[in-house]
Amino acid sequence: MDRSDRSGIRNVCVIGQAALPCSRFQTPDEAEIQTVEHEILADVVVRAVAEAGIGKSDIDSLIFTHPRTYTKQRYFATFMANYLRLRCSGVVMEVIGNGMTGGLAFDQAVMQVASGVADVALALGISVETAVPRTTHLAYQMRSNGDVDFHAPFGFTPRVWYGMDVARYFHEYGATREQLAAVAVKDHWHGSLNPLSIRGTPFTRDQILAEAPLVDGMGLLELAIPADGAICLVLAREEIAKSLGKPYARVTGRGFYHEGVHEISEVPNDMLAMASCARSAQDAFAQAGITPADVSLAELYAGSTIIEVLASEAMGFAPRGKGAQLAVEGETRLGGRIPINTSGAPISRGHPAYLTPLYGVYELVEQLRGQAGARQVKNATIGAMMSELGNFSGASVHVLEAGR
Amino acid sequence: MTLEIIARPGKRAYPPRVTAFTQTFWQGLLDGRFMITKCPKCGHMSFPPKRICAECWAPNTDWLAHSGRGILYSQSVVNAAAFYFAAELPFRLGIIDLHDGPRIATRLIGMDEPPPLGCEVELVTLAYEDGPLYAARLPAK
Ligand SMILES: [Zn+2]
Repeated sequence: MDRSDRSGIRNVCVIGQAALPCSRFQTPDEAEIQTVEHEILADVVVRAVAEAGIGKSDIDSLIFTHPRTYTKQRYFATFMANYLRLRCSGVVMEVIGNGMTGGLAFDQAVMQVASGVADVALALGISVETAVPRTTHLAYQMRSNGDVDFHAPFGFTPRVWYGMDVARYFHEYGATREQLAAVAVKDHWHGSLNPLSIRGTPFTRDQILAEAPLVDGMGLLELAIPADGAICLVLAREEIAKSLGKPYARVTGRGFYHEGVHEISEVPNDMLAMASCARSAQDAFAQAGITPADVSLAELYAGSTIIEVLASEAMGFAPRGKGAQLAVEGETRLGGRIPINTSGAPISRGHPAYLTPLYGVYELVEQLRGQAGARQVKNATIGAMMSELGNFSGASVHVLEAGR
Repeated sequence: MTLEIIARPGKRAYPPRVTAFTQTFWQGLLDGRFMITKCPKCGHMSFPPKRICAECWAPNTDWLAHSGRGILYSQSVVNAAAFYFAAELPFRLGIIDLHDGPRIATRLIGMDEPPPLGCEVELVTLAYEDGPLYAARLPAK
């Protein structure tokens, strides 16, 4: 074996994982019996480590996604280290990066192992928000996606940025609401095959189009469905992965790019180009030594169908302006040329926002280990996971390949 | 060229914070001027206004009154928003490329139907009882 080829991140493998189905388990404040995050996540961690086939004492680093503001227990990472008595010589920390949080947690766990600081690192977290009234949640979100003083006073929400993407996409390419709905049909079908999906049911194009638009061009079934979730991925050096005698997934490429822009570029640009996503995909694919055509399947962080479309174009899976049409033609569905979001995507699988990228990795690992059941992509060898920030200002891409 | 000032009853739903620096903008808006910042070294124009040039980090930008006219780059209706805006729903928001200026995002007014992208729009001052906001509309004839 060429050792140089196994240096750095290419030495890092996902050897085990566990996740709760995306669901609604947060309890309202007035409930007599409450669900609490540490009890739920502890079970998931124990399952993931057992699935990996390693011991508790093998774990060196814990990279948590920062819990959302609705989690009462603060200093959650150190609290969990106590709850599971995890003694760690690498690092115990929480990361936060808006929608990219899960992607950053995975990235940091990769770096822990790649740098040699940890032999084994966990990327894990829990996210709850479903018992919070939507308008309250929107009041919190509107301070995120834009400028508190120069956007929030007008009523901007995350969804309206999606709506403006749709309007521009239709304007530039003549794409239609029907084409965009085909992406939702495809994702809901994928989700109907995924036991982790909060919706878990297919929808027809007519059912999707029958929903009143919440923003221009998209209704309820085309936008991410909020969900609670909990997940733990176990990462380790490849020597450890090989010693366990089971299929695993190896990281082969990583890219990250931030445009130095928050939500909207004050310098007029091509908003639909998703430049940060394109750049991070190019870098990740180059490091992995592949082209987009080599990718077996992709999990794209997409708060709505239009983001899935724009990301698939930016990453080179679809020509510009054709991302939605490819769904119509079946190229992006299970069995098609490049299956996208076989998990069902945030619109069906569900969107525990800070965890969504970790659920994306989870799907790739299931697929690359040949354990995706009815969703299995035939001969899945290479997977790509993209997570992004706000309206295209930053993105990260990780490439994984099947290992045994 | 100044912005039309339209009196609005009541208070702003979610008022912006005013700083010692941005008060120049908000005071200008009350007087019908849309003030942006421009770098004396590299010419970069910013909105929201910035004291430091984001591109070349020159320490002091200049204030510049923009005509408030531009082209609608995109737009969307909003049918659900944070509770502050419940009384205003539904409303329309848009992205505007100001002529020879920065790209901004703001409220669109007087547009019941979706406006065509690429159309000319103009900014106006909305003078609420507690202070100003701005919005874009199709140009008054
Ligand atoms: Zn400058």
